[in-house]
Amino acid sequence: MDLILQPVMVDTGEEGEGCLVFAEGWLVAVLVRLSDSHEDESGYWFLEKGFGRLDRPDPPSFSDLPTAEQWIKEHLEIRRPPRWPGDPGEA
Amino acid sequence: MVGRLVENLELYGRLSELDRRAIAALPLTLRRFEPGEDMVIEGDAPSHCRLLISGLAFRHKTLRDGRRQIMSFHVPGDICDIEGLLLSMDHSVSALSRAEVGFIPHLAMEALLDGHPAISRALWRTELVEAAVAREWMVGMGRRTAYARIAHLFCEMYARLGAMGLVENGRCRFPITQTHLSDSLGLSVVHTNRVLQALRGDGLLSFRGGELIVHDWPGLQAAGEFDPAYLHLRSVAA
Repeated sequence: MDLILQPVMVDTGEEGEGCLVFAEGWLVAVLVRLSDSHEDESGYWFLEKGFGRLDRPDPPSFSDLPTAEQWIKEHLEIRRPPRWPGDPGEA
Repeated sequence: MVGRLVENLELYGRLSELDRRAIAALPLTLRRFEPGEDMVIEGDAPSHCRLLISGLAFRHKTLRDGRRQIMSFHVPGDICDIEGLLLSMDHSVSALSRAEVGFIPHLAMEALLDGHPAISRALWRTELVEAAVAREWMVGMGRRTAYARIAHLFCEMYARLGAMGLVENGRCRFPITQTHLSDSLGLSVVHTNRVLQALRGDGLLSFRGGELIVHDWPGLQAAGEFDPAYLHLRSVAA
């Protein structure tokens, strides 16, 4: 699966550097670069918003964009579990 | 030391001299806990009540993958595991800071409550207030913005610590980390950090090295949509 990253400014009250992440034409995530105020994680890429399978209560931060892309790909490829009895889920 | 319990119960209603003396006569064994140390864990059936004498504690539950939710914070004078008197623990309680805890045998506590209906009612009131606090947190997590949620928590702790005489010149010890804050309010650490910067930037508070300094109490209350009525305190810190 190929991801396309499109630079964008995101209004989070920080410096704003961010990118939209598309997979097969679908917007799947918004990543934002963390400013110096985040100490240990300054310069990291934070999963500001994940859609669908990437929507999480504990969004992670990544040291660089390749690491973020790797994580996004892995989580998009996880097989969807059945949602109701009889639903086959996703192959 | 057990006087902390009297102070706490009297926040919610008056006790007679006889009641106060009965509490003072409770047998109590003192134990110290380090920050993060468990005082009682989920599944335990304790034989003692744990009365917080100094420091702070928190109730929490942890999911299988390690994600944690903090349900409440406790200030000196609180019995942190009162449900253990009647039920087994369905969550854990840990020390937030270094804490001194008085262990009171359940048998002694039961005898106290059986013989002193006013103490029993006062303790019941503290538990009802704890449930009111939990409802307020639920409103926050479900409906308040991250900014209001954090402001509200700081207001709540400032009012509760103030009621126990632990606020001085707008300052109190509240040695909570950003991880604790995010685990209690359902926010990411990144969002928590941004909101703390914003609250500081708006001149409402400073929060550093485990100390909370409130610069603008009316402003902080407005930011958190904080109305102390749910705490049912006889007097609220200002």
